[in-house]
Formats: sequence, structure tokens, C-alpha cells
Amino acid sequence: MKWLPNSIRWRIQLWHGLLLLLVLGVFGVTAWRLQYNNEIRFLDGRLHLLLAELHVGLAQGGDAESPPEPQDDVALLLGLSFPDLPAISPRRTSAIPSFPHYHRIWWRDGMVKESFGAVPAGLTRPPNKGSVEQRTHEGFREVYQFTPPGECLLVGVPESVIDAQMRAFAAQVAGVCAVVFVFGMMGGWWMASRAIAPIRDISEAAQRISGGHLKERIPVAETESELGQLAGLLNDTFTRLDATFEQQARFTSDAAHELRTPISIILAQTQLALAKPRTTEAHVKTIEMTRRSAQRMQELIESLLTLAKADADAEPQREPVQLDALGRENLDQIRPLAEEKQITLHDHLTPATCRANAGHVTQILTNLLGNAVKYCRPGDEVRISTHRQNGHAVLTIADTGPGIPAEHLPHLFERFYRAESSRNRTTGGAGLGLAICKTLVEALGGRIIVESSLHTGTTFQVTLPA
Amino acid sequence: MRLLIVEDEPDMLDTLAEAMRGEGYAVDEAADGDDGLFKALEVDYDLIISDVMMPVHDGFELLRRLRQVKKTPFLLLTARSKVQDRIQGLDAGADDYLAKPVDLNELAARVRALIRRAHGNATPVITIGDVEIDTAAQTVKVAGQPVSLRGREYALLEFCVQHQGKIITRTQLYEHLHDENDTPISNLVDVHVFNLRKKLGQDFIVTHRGRGYSIGS
Repeated sequence: MKWLPNSIRWRIQLWHGLLLLLVLGVFGVTAWRLQYNNEIRFLDGRLHLLLAELHVGLAQGGDAESPPEPQDDVALLLGLSFPDLPAISPRRTSAIPSFPHYHRIWWRDGMVKESFGAVPAGLTRPPNKGSVEQRTHEGFREVYQFTPPGECLLVGVPESVIDAQMRAFAAQVAGVCAVVFVFGMMGGWWMASRAIAPIRDISEAAQRISGGHLKERIPVAETESELGQLAGLLNDTFTRLDATFEQQARFTSDAAHELRTPISIILAQTQLALAKPRTTEAHVKTIEMTRRSAQRMQELIESLLTLAKADADAEPQREPVQLDALGRENLDQIRPLAEEKQITLHDHLTPATCRANAGHVTQILTNLLGNAVKYCRPGDEVRISTHRQNGHAVLTIADTGPGIPAEHLPHLFERFYRAESSRNRTTGGAGLGLAICKTLVEALGGRIIVESSLHTGTTFQVTLPA
Repeated sequence: MRLLIVEDEPDMLDTLAEAMRGEGYAVDEAADGDDGLFKALEVDYDLIISDVMMPVHDGFELLRRLRQVKKTPFLLLTARSKVQDRIQGLDAGADDYLAKPVDLNELAARVRALIRRAHGNATPVITIGDVEIDTAAQTVKVAGQPVSLRGREYALLEFCVQHQGKIITRTQLYEHLHDENDTPISNLVDVHVFNLRKKLGQDFIVTHRGRGYSIGS
């Protein structure tokens, strides 16, 4: 409906107006009909009186000039029963001021016996229905009666005599309707304003919030009302958006920080090296630091790329993956490093197939096994096992390493979170390894949990759908 | 002058310490906020340079705790360079704020300015009698003639000049001229004082028997 204005308020007002007009119209027409019927009944009353007068006059055969004498009903009826009445003419009905009535009497054979007043042209004898009848005939209201001998008496009046009253009444009704309509529309406008006010508040608040004030919330006065629920819903959405934005901002700022640190080292070291003549050993140290920093940046960029890819690709390609076979492959790869650190590797790999992405699973295995070997001390053990459980493939990597303090466990999978109190050159990383694991596992529809206690060791369990 | 550098990045810590030692300062190192706070409370440093994002206590926390006890000049050095971060750092009581990556020359200049201001000196050149000490260039002139000083000699002279008019104890001199890894031999101070007197004039450094040394009125 293109022609409707866009404002809800105007639409409400329009529908309200149409409905009000309809109701007032029905009311006006009904009132007019009732009043019309009333007026017609009043006319009929007078015509009946006049008919009775005429009838009595006819029965008495009295002088037309003198009004009929009052008589009792029995005599009247008796008088009426006389078969042949002498012709007397013209009989009169009493004149009522501003009541331009007429009457006509027909003989039994249909000839006009007498007429009085402004009888409309072409008035014919009505059909005999045996009793006193009334009709509206071509704009005239008429009452007629057949006497037992067969004469027909008819009294009529033009309906136009009630026109003035009906017009006045119509004007009154129209006036009342107009007043009601005006007040109704004003009331409707006010109601619509009241109903829309909270919506406008919500929309203004929402606009402000989406304009950057993500911390603000829509004030919710009545939580039970529909609008309260809407506001609550919007607030929840804003809260989630805010959290996402904050997370994103933190991630970006953390990434920038992580990149800036090695850059700072390279810049400061090279500045120092170029400032004054130095020994070869000092230069070697500078080159070592620079190389280490570059390596760190490269690792960080790889990790960020992996995360970005996993974030962008919510539905990675999946194929059946032999978890046990991949586990063995990764275990063999890390074995030299473990032997060098005097860490014993154990495996208990029973066949377990999952529907996953081989690249993702390899990355998860590399990170978890790498972490285990990295943090274990000489003499510690790392155990990897796979098995099937309730239609899932389960991978467990447990170590007897130093364990992770309980306060770090809830944050362990957060990006850039580091559990160790100080970074050193062997265990240092950007704090993205476990975050990558979690992102990849979840992209594959699985889940990862960690259990750890200090001095006893840490266990990671990955469950992937088969 | 003795500085404390608190930085959790080992390579960065090494680099900063090396640069500051090159500027003639005695430098102590701390790898996290906890260690940093302990040392900062233990020793009266002339300046502390601290990173913000660190394990245990971050730079802000370290600064807040330190400020309850000491007014040591404090320079925050961080990879977070947003205006909001700088305001937060300065409002937490830092005397200066420098964003990484840092230019070592700028860092050295800021360190000098902070130390100078902490002792109420507005300009880098301090003149006492006919001895003129340029703390920025680290040069000394006597009656307009440049005098060459060794590193420790200059450090001792600058420390005394920055505290001119006050008596400086031998302990103070040990503390501010040597870092935590030095094993100072006590009569080295006497050797430096002897050499300075030879180069700048016998009356330049006054000995207060049993209490220490002083320069200027």
C-alpha cells in the first residue's frame, strides 16, 4: 500500500478515523431510520383519527359543516352496519393547522363518491384487504378502510410534511457525529502518541547506541509489556555486540602489541649496534636477537593467519580422518625433541575415525603435543591415546608436567592468554596455540577440555564427531 | 645514577639495559612486576623505566603500589600508545610515557630530563664556581677548558652536582653508582674523589669527616 504514509502513527490515525466514520455512519443511519419511523407513526396516528372521524361522519350522514357528535362505540358500530347510506356530500375531516391532508371516498362499484383537499392526480382505489390499512404511495402516506357495504374511505397526506423535522433531526445527528468524530480523532491521536512514545524512545536509544555508544542501554520501564520485551531483547543484542566488538578490539590491540614488541627489539638493537664501534661478539648478539625477533613475528603471523582462516571458514571441508594414524604420525615427528629433553612418550592408539579436516586435526595435534613437550621437565612423561566413545572419536594427551595453576584454567583458551608468570626464550610464544586448538576443534563441531593440577600434570581431551 | 628497568621481554630488557649502561648509568633489571616492585621498594633508584603489560603486576599496578611509598621518577614504556593509555599512565603517577618502538636517543634524553627535574634543575648545564657540567653531553669544563673524566668519575660528579649543597654519604654513593651485579670495593670511591679533585680543583669536593661529601654551597 504505497499511498499510505510511512509513519505508524499516521496509519493508526487513518484506520482509527475510518472505523470511527463507519460507526458514526451506522449510528446516524439507524437514528435517522428510527426517527423517520417515529414521525410516520405520528402521521399514521393523525390519519387514523381523521379516518375514524370520516367514518363516523359517513355513518351519521350528518351535516358536513358541523363536527360529528360524540357517540359511544356500540352506536357507531351499529351505525356502520347499515347497508345503504344516503349520499351526502362533501363530508369534512377536521382541519389541523399545517396538516394538508386530503380524503376520498369510493362507492362500492369503484366510482368516486367524494374528494376533499389536494388529492394527488391518478389516485385509484386501493385493493380491499378487509381491515384498516396504511401505505406509502408515491410520496404520500395514506390510511384507508372498506366499510362492510364495500365503500372505501381513504385519508392521506404528502410525506413532505415531515421533511422539515427530518432535516432538523439530520442536522442535529450530523452535528453530534461531527463533534464525536473530532474528539474521537483527537483522542486517537493522543492514544497513538502514547502508544508510540516508548517505540520512539527505544528507536532513539537504539540509534544512539548503534552510533557508537555501545555501553548505553535502552531504559526498560515495564519488563512485562511487549515493548519492554523488545527493549530487553535489543539490550541483550547490544550487550552481545558490545562484547564482540570489545573482543575484536582487544584481539587487534593484542596482535599489534605482540608484533610491536619484536619490532621494538630489532629497532633498538640495530640503533645500539650502529651508534658506536663494538666488538664482534656484541654484533653477533644483535644479529641473534634480530633473527629471534623476526622468527617470532613470522610465527605470530602464521598463527594469526590460521585463526583468521578458521574464523572465516566456519564450515571446513571434512573427510573421514584416522585419528589414531595422525596421532602416531605427529608423535613420531616430535620424538627427537622429546628424547633430547629426556621426556618419555607413551601411546595407546586404538582405531578411531572422525569426520574432520586432516589439516585442522594435524594442527591441533602439533600444538597439544608441542605444548606438552615444551612445558615438561626431563624425566616427565607424555601419553597420547585415542578411542571411540558414544559415536565420537576421543583424543587424550596427558603429561606429568608441572601443571597449570587453577586460576589460569578458565582463560587458557583465550587468545593471547599466557599462563606462565614470565616468558622466557624457550617457552615464549604469543599465547595463541591453545586458542587456535579451540577454534579449530569447534569449527569441526567438537569440543576441547583441560584438566590440570599443580605438580601432577595436565590432560587435554579433544572430542570430535565421528 | 642508578636505574631500574622492568620489562618482561628478555631481549628488550637486555637491549634497554645495554643502552642505558652505555649512557653511564648503573642499571638493575627486573623481569616482571613483582620483582620490579620488590627492587623499587628496596633501593632508592634515580629513575625507573617500566613496561606496562607484564605478568603478576602490570606497570600501572607497580606504579600505584610504589607511589604509596616513594616518589621515584617513573617512565612508562609500552607498546600501547593510544591517548587513553597515555592519560591513564600519567594519571596513575608516571612522570613520562614513551611508546614502543622507542628511539634510544629519545629515551636517553627523557631519562636525563626526568632525573634533572627530580632534583629541581631546569637546564642540562649546571655551573658551580668555574666548573661547568653539561649533563646532556656529559662533558665537564673548568674555566672554559674541557676536562676528560672517566665514566665512574663523571657519574659520581653528576650525582653530587644533582644533589648540590647536600651531604652525600658513602653508602649513597655506592648505591647510586653501582648496579646489583657490581661488587664495589669501598676505597674505589676515594680513588674517584681523589681523581676528581686533581682535575677540578682541591676544594671542589668538600669532605665532611665521618658523614660524607658535598659539592657547592
